[in-house]
Amino acid sequence: MRYVDEFRDADLGRALAGEILATVESGRHYKVMEVCGGHTHSIYKYGVDDLLPENVELVHGPGCPVCVIPMGRVDDGIAIAHEPGVIFTCFGDMMRVPGSEGTLMEAKARGADIRMVYSPLDALRLAKENPDREVVFFAIGFETTAPSTALTLRRAKAEGVSNFSCVCNHVTIVPPLRALLESPDLRLDGFIGPGHVSTVVGARPFQFIPADHGKPVVVAGFEPLDILQAIHMILLQLRDGRCEVENQYKRVVPWEGNLKALEVMSEVFELRPHFEWRGLGFISQSALRLSDDYADLDAEQRFSAPGVRVADPKACQCGEVLKGVIKPWECKVFGTACTPEHAIGTCMVSPEGACAAYYNYGRFARERAVV
Amino acid sequence: MAEHSPAACFDDHCITCGDEGIAMQVVAVDEVRGLALCEEPEGARSTIEIGLVDAAPGDRLLVHAGTALVRLESA
Repeated sequence: MRYVDEFRDADLGRALAGEILATVESGRHYKVMEVCGGHTHSIYKYGVDDLLPENVELVHGPGCPVCVIPMGRVDDGIAIAHEPGVIFTCFGDMMRVPGSEGTLMEAKARGADIRMVYSPLDALRLAKENPDREVVFFAIGFETTAPSTALTLRRAKAEGVSNFSCVCNHVTIVPPLRALLESPDLRLDGFIGPGHVSTVVGARPFQFIPADHGKPVVVAGFEPLDILQAIHMILLQLRDGRCEVENQYKRVVPWEGNLKALEVMSEVFELRPHFEWRGLGFISQSALRLSDDYADLDAEQRFSAPGVRVADPKACQCGEVLKGVIKPWECKVFGTACTPEHAIGTCMVSPEGACAAYYNYGRFARERAVV
Repeated sequence: MAEHSPAACFDDHCITCGDEGIAMQVVAVDEVRGLALCEEPEGARSTIEIGLVDAAPGDRLLVHAGTALVRLESA
């Protein structure tokens, strides 16, 4: 398949690994964060980290939207799902994210009408097909999924679909990166920038990272050669004393992003003053809510929800994993009490969560290495 | 016509939640409604929102959560 097969070529991968080895300085340790959960997944799936020199360490970032949603928001969703007459819709992974009293999947088993959808457009269709029911869409995701929600809300308003509403949990990528860069816990040398978030926001918003923090950023695609090339580009910047935003993923990511997407998002959403991120705490202006023009479609105004902050389980170390302070296998409950089938923490829920990705792929290589 | 199964979210990758989208090919365009029938490489078809891109039959689009975010270079 064009644009896929050539980015999985083993010989090219080995050649790139050789170039990376020739670029690094012995005696120096490099920490590179892949911001996005999609990159984390690819790194473990294809064994990208096995091709790197020992002194190049990949640190997994907070770019998995399922992983950063706090338990209190899940509880709010479950409370709304139990309201009489409600059809509650959400993406697949969201069904298994634990709240304080279980998951949406378990609420469904207890009788709530909760349905998995592929897109918000499917939820709107359900609303049109069920005019006597209230259809609520639990929106989640970074700037990749936010335009989809925005377009659907604009469509619902234009078509006068009054039994449709949205719980908006959309988050934005730049504020958590600022928070991470200001965290004393972490020393990073560079960032692999998110590929598909950048199709919407462009590469420009990441310029604060080299400008204010002196770290290189390379926006990258998701195939193994994309990631290897991005790592090589970061290492070349470090070797040459350069510090800038580069775009490895030019075949998909325009520098300016998608202006139509940014326009519809600014019409439908506005920034929340602050929002809680699992493991990272409250981050100001890091999430979206519906703008005043779309308040009629805001499920948080239409229904009452607890709105209570819930602390993570004590055993769960998702916070440290999300900040890259510990590796998934260093969490006390990894692979024992916390597995993809029975997740305690959100990082074990989504395939793009660092723990689930490592559990599904990386642990076998590590077990072999230990043996 | 093979319809997309939302259960795919439980498989290898969640295309709706994560950063990674999928490439789909436009089969037919409904310009009035701003929608297109699109096909995944494996043959599954879905109705896709195309309000953010200029799309014509045969184009390849990067799709996230049922919305096309960018038109890819033609294959």
